[in-house]
Amino acid sequence: MIQLNDLSKVFKTELIETHALRQISLTVNEGEFVALTGPSGSGKSTLLNVLGTLEHFDGGDYLLDGQSVKGLSDKSLSALRNEKIGFIFQGFNLIKDYSLFDNIELPLRYRGFNAAERKRRVEHALEQVGLAARRDYHPSQLSGGQQQRVAIARAIAGQPRILLADEPTGNLDSLMARQVMELLEQINQNGCTILMVTHDPEQARRAGRQVQIIDGHLSDASMYDPLAQNSPVAVA
Amino acid sequence: MEQFLYYLKVSVKSIRRAPLPYVLTVLIMALGLGVFFANATFYYRLNADPLPHKSDKLFFPMMLLVPWECNDNTCKPPPVLSYANVQKLSNTDIPTAKAAMYSSDAYLRLDTKQPPLPVSVRITQRDFFRMFDVPVLHGSIWPDDSARNEIILTKALAEKLFGQSDVVGKTLLLDDKPLTVSGVLDNWQMLPRLYDANSGNHVEPVEQIYLPLETGYDMNYMSNSQSSTFDDTDYRQLSSQGRTGALHQLQYWVQLDTPAQQQAYRDFMQNLASTEKAAGRHPSIINNQLTSMRNIVAYFGGESGDIKAFALVTLLFLLVCLLNASHLSLNRYLSNQYEFSLRRALGASRWQLQQQMFADVLLLTLCCLAGALLIGFGGVQLMNYLWPVNRLFSTWDWQLLLGLLLLALSASYLVTLYPSLRASFGALNQQLKE
Amino acid sequence: MSLHLMLKSLKRRKVVTGLLLLQLAMTLALLLNAVMLASQTHASLNEPTGLDMENILQVQLKPTTPELRKYPALSDLLERQLAGVRAVPGVVAVAYSNQGPLLQGGNNGNVFKVGAQERTNLASVPMYFVSADFFRVLGLTVQNGELPVSPTPLDGKVQSPVVLTQQLAEHLFAGENPVGQAVNRGPVAAVVSNFYGQRSAEHVFNNSVQVAPMYGVDWGYSLLLRVEAGSADTVRQQLDQVLRNVDTNIEIFYVRSLAEQHHRLYRTEFGLAVLLTILAGLMLLVTMISSYSNAHFHALKSQQDIGIKRALGASRQAIFVELLAEGWLCTLLGTGAGVFVALLLNKLLATVIVIPAIPLWLPLLAISVLILCVTLATWYPARIATRVSPATATKTL
Repeated sequence: MIQLNDLSKVFKTELIETHALRQISLTVNEGEFVALTGPSGSGKSTLLNVLGTLEHFDGGDYLLDGQSVKGLSDKSLSALRNEKIGFIFQGFNLIKDYSLFDNIELPLRYRGFNAAERKRRVEHALEQVGLAARRDYHPSQLSGGQQQRVAIARAIAGQPRILLADEPTGNLDSLMARQVMELLEQINQNGCTILMVTHDPEQARRAGRQVQIIDGHLSDASMYDPLAQNSPVAVA
Repeated sequence: MEQFLYYLKVSVKSIRRAPLPYVLTVLIMALGLGVFFANATFYYRLNADPLPHKSDKLFFPMMLLVPWECNDNTCKPPPVLSYANVQKLSNTDIPTAKAAMYSSDAYLRLDTKQPPLPVSVRITQRDFFRMFDVPVLHGSIWPDDSARNEIILTKALAEKLFGQSDVVGKTLLLDDKPLTVSGVLDNWQMLPRLYDANSGNHVEPVEQIYLPLETGYDMNYMSNSQSSTFDDTDYRQLSSQGRTGALHQLQYWVQLDTPAQQQAYRDFMQNLASTEKAAGRHPSIINNQLTSMRNIVAYFGGESGDIKAFALVTLLFLLVCLLNASHLSLNRYLSNQYEFSLRRALGASRWQLQQQMFADVLLLTLCCLAGALLIGFGGVQLMNYLWPVNRLFSTWDWQLLLGLLLLALSASYLVTLYPSLRASFGALNQQLKE
Repeated sequence: MSLHLMLKSLKRRKVVTGLLLLQLAMTLALLLNAVMLASQTHASLNEPTGLDMENILQVQLKPTTPELRKYPALSDLLERQLAGVRAVPGVVAVAYSNQGPLLQGGNNGNVFKVGAQERTNLASVPMYFVSADFFRVLGLTVQNGELPVSPTPLDGKVQSPVVLTQQLAEHLFAGENPVGQAVNRGPVAAVVSNFYGQRSAEHVFNNSVQVAPMYGVDWGYSLLLRVEAGSADTVRQQLDQVLRNVDTNIEIFYVRSLAEQHHRLYRTEFGLAVLLTILAGLMLLVTMISSYSNAHFHALKSQQDIGIKRALGASRQAIFVELLAEGWLCTLLGTGAGVFVALLLNKLLATVIVIPAIPLWLPLLAISVLILCVTLATWYPARIATRVSPATATKTL
């Protein structure tokens, strides 16, 4: 599903060069639920952005569903993002002016579905997240947990191959966080590949596989436990 | 005071941070104000009352005393009277003052060796000077309305011909007829020149020379503005036939100080018309007009439709510019909302923030005023070029400038009011979060 | 791009949007009325006058001494002046006249068919008292009858024959042959082609001409001359000197071509049309500035939304078109209202000046122009907005 070969990303300013990702090689198979963990500033979010084609990378290659994304035009990347990838952000990132229905419908419009098809998919997605009764509400009228569920509905309405979640429960209390995690697990069971960035070790354990990033380097840290005293230092 | 200077400093800083939106706001407001002011100058001047203390006491009588027959509502009296008409209208003591007059062109020189100088002439009875407050510098006005070989000059013409202003007693040739200077008028101008509103002449400057009416007729001077003949009168025989025939070229003004006088004169005109009709002299219906000086331009349809049209449109333009400027200003304030809210979070009261707004308004007023004056000046020059007939009405006085200042102040206030209210009265936590 | 979503977005920014719509409406109103006035003035300046405007010059002058203004000195002066001007190279023909054509008002009087005054009387018909070459100078063609060759005094025992323009003849003698019949001024000798006399007359082509010595020159008189094509400038440069050489006791008020005279006739309308056009241009400029600023500010405020949309798969192109489309929607809404404002303004202006009504197709054209201007103005801010990095825009602080 996802294949990274020696991928690297450097942020350059006038004075400083930051190596956010250093020659990362990673393979994620279809249907996996992968948790990306690591300390703050390690490059987790950057990796997620690259995987979601929100950021370009400087070295190596990235194959998504067998296709290399290197050198693709903005139009092709946008289409790829629209069809194959779903996003869930820590800050929900719903559009305040739009109703729930309009928010979820948005990526489907870019896909080019007709009105009837869009309506069907939106209503199905709303049902899946349990908010069918509130389709005409606005984000400001919902709690944090409900907003995140809307964001998830938006992400899955187009039936993406991959779901990328950046700290999806970061702004939620424990009860809502648990609800969101259950939803994600359900989605994964339906066949969607999920990559989730998280600080929460409990959530990391619920994912099938953990991948750790430290200082831009990757390690498969199913053994990594930040609470443990003598954890092995990962080597890329 | 120190606090207000601080607010001004804050205003300037906020402008420096993002100069382009501010410059655009000032530009748009200056455009609207400047264009409006340029046209308003002409509008104000053309509609000014040159004799506010007596313009409601001066009247222009017109009567339908003509040899032809006209018997329906469309019959308007001629805008100028015949010599015979004026004689009959003068046959009463009701007015405080009365003067018949007309304008003409003539050629003036000191002697036959000089080339003739073209001059404008007002041929008038003596009350003209009293009624229209014409200032006399040297000499005196003629003692009566009889013909006399005397002339009155303006100071400017006297200085041009003789190199000095006191030329009473000197002789000069008007179309080669020797005349003596009996008086010199001080510098004066009547804007608009309401005593001659026929044919839109109220926008012209006052005449250079003044000649007694009887002398003018004796010398066969024809009116250069409006003259109509309704019978066989030969206008080349003005001195004889022109005094008896239906040759209409005279403007006639009377001064009626009280409403009682005005009514009495109206009655007099009515009686005169009835008498004339009964005598079989003037077969048309009776249609007397007694128009006050304030309304004379409108009566003759001389109001400049173009200035009015442009006034309407420049007002619209000003409105559009103010809307645009409010729009830009709103955007600017919304951009700066974070800082505004921060100040409030740090303890600034709403009133203190309003004072900041006053400082903004003051600064905006000064900038817009400067721009508006510049654009207004350009606008006036352009309008003078396109409509040179109105050139006398393009000067600024302190009243107009004060008006512009007040307008700029109001406009700046309006443009700043809503945005700053939005900024200072919004929900604090929301604004800080953004 | 959804109309419904754009409208929602505009509704959220009610005040700003309202201001923008109002100013668009007024801009369109002014634009349309300025165009109407300009086109009306243009039509007036291009109306047929029956005259060769570039190759006929007019000198307006007056003798400055009383003796020269009386006969026989006046007729002697005129003869010498005509001879002097005729001798200038490039001059084809010259004539005197009490007044020139293409005036606002002037010397006029009533004309009627003798015996049918009530039915045929026309007031304010311009009267021309001219020398014989007048018709040749103005290039008038004879439709009927024969032109008088020598002058007949107006106050003599015999009435001076009258030449009518076609327009006047048709009014006075509809269907009949006018030649030989009598009008109050004299017997009709000929009918000539129409020419523009005075604007304040009932019809500009109603003119009466008599070959006669001028009655008087208290109001000055005109010398009209026809020149060879292309020689107008050289001839007019010489005229002042030529005339002063004949006699210095004259005041020359002006030397003009008929084209210049025509333009002067419509000077006020022309001035208003120019001013309104400049104003319309300024309004467009102000609208463009406002659109630019609005788009720029809106794009700035919508960075997060733009980032989200990009993350959801909108291409740069799609975002760009969305931003432009918002401008188009605003323009269409504003100008839609603007058509009504334009009609209202047209009615208001018609109470103080003469302005034609607005035809149906013009608003469409004007709206297209406005859309073009708004597109140009919002192009750059929209381009900038598409460069928003979705990664940065969607980042939680």
